[in-house]
Amino acid sequence: MMLGPEQMASEFRLAKVEDHQTILVQRTLRSGQSIFYAGNVIVLGDVNPGAEIVATGDVIVIGKLKGTVHAGAGGNEGAIVVAFRFEPTQLRIAGHVAQPAEETLPPGKPGLARIVDGAVVIEAFSLTGERKGPPSVLRTLPNAPVVESKARHTGAGAKRRNRGAVSEKAR
Amino acid sequence: MGEVIVITSGKGGVGKTTATANIGAGLALRGYKVALVDADIGLRNLDVVLGLENRIVYDLVDVAHGHCRLKQALIKDKRFEGLHLLPAAQTKDKTAVKPEQMKEICLQLKEEFDYVIIDCPAGIEQGFKNAIAGAEKAIVVTTPEVSAVRDADRVIGLLEAAELKEPKLVINRLRPKMVRQGDMMTIEDIIEILAVDLLGVIPEDEQIIVTTNRGDTVVQDQRSRSGEAFRNIARRILGEPVPLMDLERDGNLFTRLRKIIGLR
Repeated sequence: MMLGPEQMASEFRLAKVEDHQTILVQRTLRSGQSIFYAGNVIVLGDVNPGAEIVATGDVIVIGKLKGTVHAGAGGNEGAIVVAFRFEPTQLRIAGHVAQPAEETLPPGKPGLARIVDGAVVIEAFSLTGERKGPPSVLRTLPNAPVVESKARHTGAGAKRRNRGAVSEKAR
Repeated sequence: MGEVIVITSGKGGVGKTTATANIGAGLALRGYKVALVDADIGLRNLDVVLGLENRIVYDLVDVAHGHCRLKQALIKDKRFEGLHLLPAAQTKDKTAVKPEQMKEICLQLKEEFDYVIIDCPAGIEQGFKNAIAGAEKAIVVTTPEVSAVRDADRVIGLLEAAELKEPKLVINRLRPKMVRQGDMMTIEDIIEILAVDLLGVIPEDEQIIVTTNRGDTVVQDQRSRSGEAFRNIARRILGEPVPLMDLERDGNLFTRLRKIIGLR
C-alpha cells in the first residue's frame, strides 16, 4: 500500500498509536521508492540506499536496511527499528534523527534501534532473541528539525506531542 | 518476430549510446538483422557515434507523425550488413512522440528485424517513458560509481513497475587495477545492491574514445579488450553461455608483446 502525501497526512491524523495495523512488503525497495504507512511495516527484502520508509509504528526489515527509515512518525517514542543487516543511511524514531556511526555495529549484523532515556540507541540483535553487548548511543544530528520537516505528514496533534523532543537530548 | 531491447541507465554519461552501437554491431556481426532506435529526441548522438549523421533524411518524429514511411527513415549502416539506424530528431523535443507511437514503431520494426535496440535518453521523465514503452527486455548500464549505481537502482525499480521484469546489467568502464587496490566498487558490490543478472563487464578502454570520435565501433576490433567484452555481451544475448573474461589479463599476447617492444 503506497500513499501520496495528501492521503498520508489524513491517514496519520486518524492513526492511533496504540492500535497499529501492519503491512507486509514482499519485495525489495529500490532507490526512489517509498512506503508511508500508519502502522507497522515489515519488509521481506532489502531497503536500498535512496529508498524511504515512514511508519507510525515499528519497522522490521528481513533483509538489508541501507535506506532511510522513520519509525514512530507522529511521535511514538516506543517504536523500534529492526533489520537483519543494519546499515541505514539515516534513522529516525519519533522526533529523533540519527546517523549510525560506523563503529556502532559490526557491518552485516542484525541490529535494533530504539529510544532509551531520550536518545536513539542501537544494539546488536541476536536472532535467538537475546540482545548482546551494551547498547551504543548513535551520533545524533545537532538540532535536526525532524518534527518540523515532517509536519505535513504528522498533523498538528503529533507536532504538539513532539515539541521539544528534538535531538539535543540524545547526547 | 524479433525482440525489442531498451538500453537505459538513469544517469547520463555512463555509456548507453556506446553500448547500443557496439551491442547492435556485435549482433549484426553474427549475422542478425538489427535496428537501432535513437530515442534521445533533441539530443541525438547515436548517428554521430555510428558515423551516419550525413545520411539522415527522415527521423523518428517524422515516422511517428506519419510524414514518411518507416522504411524511408531507416539508415543502412556502411560497415555492418544487417545493421540499421532509426535516428532521433534534433530540432524537436521529447514531447514530440507519445509512448503509443513508440509502441507502434517497435511493433513494425520487430516484424522485420531480429533485434530492435533502443537507446534511451538519460533521466526518468517523458523520454525514458517513451523509450521503454515498446520494449520487451531491458539492459541497464552502470559504471562502478555510487551515483551511477544509485540511479541504476532507481531505474530498475521503474522498469519493474512498468512490467519490464528482470533487467540485465552491464557494468561499464571498470578499472581492474583500481578495484584491486580497493579504490573502486567491485562487480560483487554492485550486484549486491542491484540484485539483477550480470550481462557483461566492459573494462575502461581508451580505444572506445578513439573509435567513437571517428564514428566507428570497437566491437569488430579483435585486439581491443572492450571490443571483446561487447562481442561477449552480444553472444550472451543470443543465448550462448560465455564466461566473464579475465579482466586482469591486459590484452592478448600480441598486444602485450607490442607494448613491451614499444609499438603501441
